[in-house]
Amino acid sequence: MKKRDTSEEDKAKQGLTRRQFLTTMGVGTAAVAVSGKRQAHAAEEEAVIKAGDLTRVALNINGRRHRLMVEPRWSLLFVLRERLGLTGTKVGCERGECGACTVLINDVPRYACMTLAVEAEGAKIITVEGLMNGEELGPVQQAFLEEDAFQCGYCTPGQIMAVEGLLRSFPDPSSDQVRAAMSGNLCRCGTYTHIAKATSRAAELRRKAGGAS
Amino acid sequence: MLPAFDYVRPKSLTDVFKHLASKGTTVKAGGTDLFGCLRDGVFQTSGLVSLNNIKELHGIADTGNGLRIGALTTITEVATSPVIRNQYPALAQAAMEVASPQLRNQGTIGGNLCQKPRCWYYRGEFHCLRKGGETCFAVTGQNQYHCILGGDGCYIVHPSDIAPALIALDARVQIAGSKGARYVPLEEFFMSPTKDPKRETVLMPDEIVAGVLLPAPSKGLRSSYRKVRARRSWDFALASVALALTMSDRRVASAHVVLGGAAPVPWRSREAEEVIAGKQLDAATITKAAEAAMSKAQPMDHNHYKLALFRGLIEEQLQAMAG
Amino acid sequence: MSEEQKYSGRGAAPKPWDKTTIIGKRIPRVDAYERVSGSAVYPSDVTFPDMLYGAVLRCPWACAKVRSVDTSGTEKMEGVYAVISGWSPEAGIYWPYSKDIRMKLFDPLCRYEGEPVAAVAATTPYLAWDAIRSIKVEYDRLPFVADERKALDDGAPHVHEIGNLVTPTQVYQRGDVAKGFAEADVVLEETYRTECEIHTPMELHGCVARWDRDRLTLWESTQGVYAVQARVSEILGLPLSKVRVIGHYMGGAFGSKLQPGKYTIIAAVLAKMTARPVKLFLTREETFLAAGNRPPANMRLKAGVRKDGRLTALHFTDIGTGGAYPAGGTAFVDWLAQDLYACPNVKTELTDVYINAGPSRPFRAPGHPQGSWALEQMMDALAVAIKMDPVEVRLKNIPLYSQARPGNPPYTTTGLRECLTEGAKAFKWDEARRKTRESGKEHIRRGIGMAGALWAVGGGRPPSTVIVKIFADGSVNLNMGASDIGTGTKTIMAMVVAEELGVKLDAIQIENADTGTTQYATPSGGSKTVPTESPAVRAACISVKEQLLQMAAQDLKADVSSLMVRSEEIVSTADASKRIKISGISGLKEQGVIVGIGYRAPNPADKITNPFAAQFCEVEVDTKTGEVKILRFVGANDSGRVMDRLTYDNQVFGGITMGIGLAMTEARILDAGQTGKMLNRNWHDYKIPTALDVPAEMVSVPLDLPDPEANTTGAKGLGEPVTIPTAPAVANAIYNATGVRVTTTGMTPVQLCELFARAKQPTKQKREG
Repeated sequence: MKKRDTSEEDKAKQGLTRRQFLTTMGVGTAAVAVSGKRQAHAAEEEAVIKAGDLTRVALNINGRRHRLMVEPRWSLLFVLRERLGLTGTKVGCERGECGACTVLINDVPRYACMTLAVEAEGAKIITVEGLMNGEELGPVQQAFLEEDAFQCGYCTPGQIMAVEGLLRSFPDPSSDQVRAAMSGNLCRCGTYTHIAKATSRAAELRRKAGGAS
Repeated sequence: MLPAFDYVRPKSLTDVFKHLASKGTTVKAGGTDLFGCLRDGVFQTSGLVSLNNIKELHGIADTGNGLRIGALTTITEVATSPVIRNQYPALAQAAMEVASPQLRNQGTIGGNLCQKPRCWYYRGEFHCLRKGGETCFAVTGQNQYHCILGGDGCYIVHPSDIAPALIALDARVQIAGSKGARYVPLEEFFMSPTKDPKRETVLMPDEIVAGVLLPAPSKGLRSSYRKVRARRSWDFALASVALALTMSDRRVASAHVVLGGAAPVPWRSREAEEVIAGKQLDAATITKAAEAAMSKAQPMDHNHYKLALFRGLIEEQLQAMAG
Repeated sequence: MSEEQKYSGRGAAPKPWDKTTIIGKRIPRVDAYERVSGSAVYPSDVTFPDMLYGAVLRCPWACAKVRSVDTSGTEKMEGVYAVISGWSPEAGIYWPYSKDIRMKLFDPLCRYEGEPVAAVAATTPYLAWDAIRSIKVEYDRLPFVADERKALDDGAPHVHEIGNLVTPTQVYQRGDVAKGFAEADVVLEETYRTECEIHTPMELHGCVARWDRDRLTLWESTQGVYAVQARVSEILGLPLSKVRVIGHYMGGAFGSKLQPGKYTIIAAVLAKMTARPVKLFLTREETFLAAGNRPPANMRLKAGVRKDGRLTALHFTDIGTGGAYPAGGTAFVDWLAQDLYACPNVKTELTDVYINAGPSRPFRAPGHPQGSWALEQMMDALAVAIKMDPVEVRLKNIPLYSQARPGNPPYTTTGLRECLTEGAKAFKWDEARRKTRESGKEHIRRGIGMAGALWAVGGGRPPSTVIVKIFADGSVNLNMGASDIGTGTKTIMAMVVAEELGVKLDAIQIENADTGTTQYATPSGGSKTVPTESPAVRAACISVKEQLLQMAAQDLKADVSSLMVRSEEIVSTADASKRIKISGISGLKEQGVIVGIGYRAPNPADKITNPFAAQFCEVEVDTKTGEVKILRFVGANDSGRVMDRLTYDNQVFGGITMGIGLAMTEARILDAGQTGKMLNRNWHDYKIPTALDVPAEMVSVPLDLPDPEANTTGAKGLGEPVTIPTAPAVANAIYNATGVRVTTTGMTPVQLCELFARAKQPTKQKREG
């Protein structure tokens, strides 16, 4: 076993540049990535937060900084809804199985129920409230209104955020891309057909608005 | 609601290992599987050691002789990486089939390889063999999603889509620990229940997956991943097949056939590989390979369908390779 | 007050609308802004600064007796304000599982997994669940039965002392089935099963409870605030005036929120104990166990048909279960066999049994999708047997009256024939049957299938009271008790107001679903909300209009009979110069508002109002892997007048989507042979359709046949018929593609691979022109 590891290591050294190898082993300073975004992190200091203790976090939500105290186990979803009153983000399962709590984290759709508040620091968080321009609906919201892309409306904010995330990456998505991007959000009322139409409409509205989000 | 835990986000691997040395701590990468386990009480943790600040675990890098994918690279990054899509299509296809878009945006390749089984007895309120109990409830219970190969005391199937693709592509896993690094062919990374039904991988408590190494694709390499599931999104494989064939002069020079949803570990079907090695992929050979892959299968009460399914799937995929 | 007066408070019933200006158009919802902006406050969004969070400890066993509950450590935990169990004096409350069966709120005898055993209130939900985990319960596990097919076996444990039969087998009979089968050219017999489905609305079940001394306010996610008020006041012994239930928005229900749950009472008790508001919403896992389900159905159907396509006899049986308490385990399952197609000889037998599982609740078109699964596959098989087009067979058996009801009352309208013919036309059914659509790959097959349906209710009925109030400036307030469960109730009622009073939609303010401030309505369910509420809204508007016209007649010095309302004005039909803006009417200015009260009038005495439907689909089947791809769907509906075409289509597609769930993936899995526990109590293992599981192409074909006899708006129900025929239409298409009949729902590779393998070489059905 020991011997085998050594030979594997040798092979790996041939495979990796020396520098990468060292960084991989934690003695270097930076990794060289040819692709893939590194998740930026504000928290520079390492600190053990004890279970049940409250720690201070600063969350950037919809362009505003919110400072509050959280337990390490608190989800971003709980903090948004029950601590900050941002109840547009809905709770459906708290186990990453429905998408009602979808928010954008650095422009990427994520489940707020599966995200710890302590790990959301330093990220740009956008909720459905953050798509509003004052009292005016954003283009995705407007498209959902026009196409009747909901029934009970409870999954809707999450659906809207998934579509918003898609259009931020792909302003003119194909119908396959649309359906794939929708596939992480359940709608028990079954409004997928209208959501797909609304997504096309939203892309159109965004283009008219000059791609502004 | 999650039970309470300590939380630490070290800045260096050295610190990670320091914290992992404390009893009962758990590594946290994307967390998508971990939080489900904690919510369901599958296991307890005293504290989470988050890897998020460990820079060298992120990103996809060209090693000059293949690719290194850092353990914290998200599934989405794997699925959309141009180099992976071009050179290792099986891996990109497998990554695209994982869970849902949001989970792919959060889940990591390292976490995907280390995820816990999806057995509903294991995940439910059942003190099963894998959780230190006496019995595997699947044996006489609802075993439609359980294994047909490699079961021994415990009859889970390995839930990963990515692992079969990586094994087909001859990937190795880079393991980092307080005592240094080691490299294990991915095929040997997973723990069969015959060896230890309470562990899923060869990782020791103070070790983590640091990355995955892919060899440069050989000339003539063709790879694919195909997954069959009950629901078209957000579902694990009922059956999946990863193929990596090196074709030479219309013949299969070398073949890796790896099955997902078949066994407690990603299952390399050497029986199928032997049938096609050196052969042209004609209809008779394909049928024979599909039969061979299931020759040692031992279905349970409710999963006989997997035999027909795997045969059909392997045939379909080999035909696609031939065509 | 005479029945006529009920229409408008005065005068005769209004004539049916002739031409409409707003009704029937594609109108976006009046509350869309709130729902897409995130500003709508659903009950689960309600928070108060001093609010506590409730959580419930539930029995983990299929059947057990609670021997002891130790909460001593729990009560001392930080942040825990109240702990309650069957031993607490505050829990001496009885929960009515049925008319005859009342159990304690925390009863020591737990007949199903998920029965509440204890509950807590704490400052955060995290602390509440820490508290729940700290409670120590000792259970005596008892024998259980978790499979309705074995509930009547010798030696099966008894769920109730009287045994496992809820009532003696219910038999319906007309004609003579033996004679009917003797007259048939073809007789077929088959067994069918639909799996137990769970509602899983997106918003969890629960409420926020708050007391002001002896007055209780509940923000409950519900389909009917008045129904919740009545049940809660009965259980807690409070006058109705001391229970206010508010449910302005709600995130889906599908029948599972027609009534409060034990959780409602538990929240109220915890709030009373702590003198603080308590939010208690179930976890998703709990809703799978204890918030209702659609009963599984184990059906057998024998059918006789003549070569000319006429049915001669149907014999239908079903064994079903509503779980551990009486909950309609077989309700309506035989209705389609009795009433959908003309057949002189029909016998049905329903056997409802107890098992140790969570009680059922009504689920979108109770009983109908189950019965449709059997009947519509049988119709398809009969068509194949007599070599007749399946649409044609159904057309041969269109009834003009309800055969199952005493006295055979005729339908006010029946569009079953039109649903079949217009739907087939839109689908290009004949062309599709002629075409051989080979994909080029031998193992990939395409096929088409269809099914018809009716919904046994859906005509609406009294009671309902609605108040419409016009302000001095001509804008309007609409006040009604009905919940908008996502079907567009508020929008459709506002459209009725706009149609009748000539006001713009955005000049209408709506108050609804609050027992404290809005009028009486029954729960929104049974596809009866539009046909129940819209005539009441229209009546209230007419009352307002009549008062307005009287006032305007004085201002204009005109005869009231010559006046009419037209776009915010009162105009004389006799003299075009005589006109006055509504806001200019002096009587209205003086009075400030005009109030009109509308009531729902009774339905016609000797007729029946039912909606009808037919659906058509095309599938692609991979016979090697058992994968089915649904390529397209057409839904044709006769639901009377189309009120809002936009929300109408949305209902049609939504119903098909839910039907696809039943057809393809949804099934409650119980560990029946070992523990009786539910194995798939989450949305991962219980698979409802995603966007990738429904066809990109769905077409709605509304027949728009106003039903003037049914009620004064001519609308019939829609929300339920749209999901009834979906599953058998898919099964029939799979048969058409492969020659394999799938008689159990859950058409995933788990089932299909083996069926296809057994059929070895699935053969394509010949498509006869």
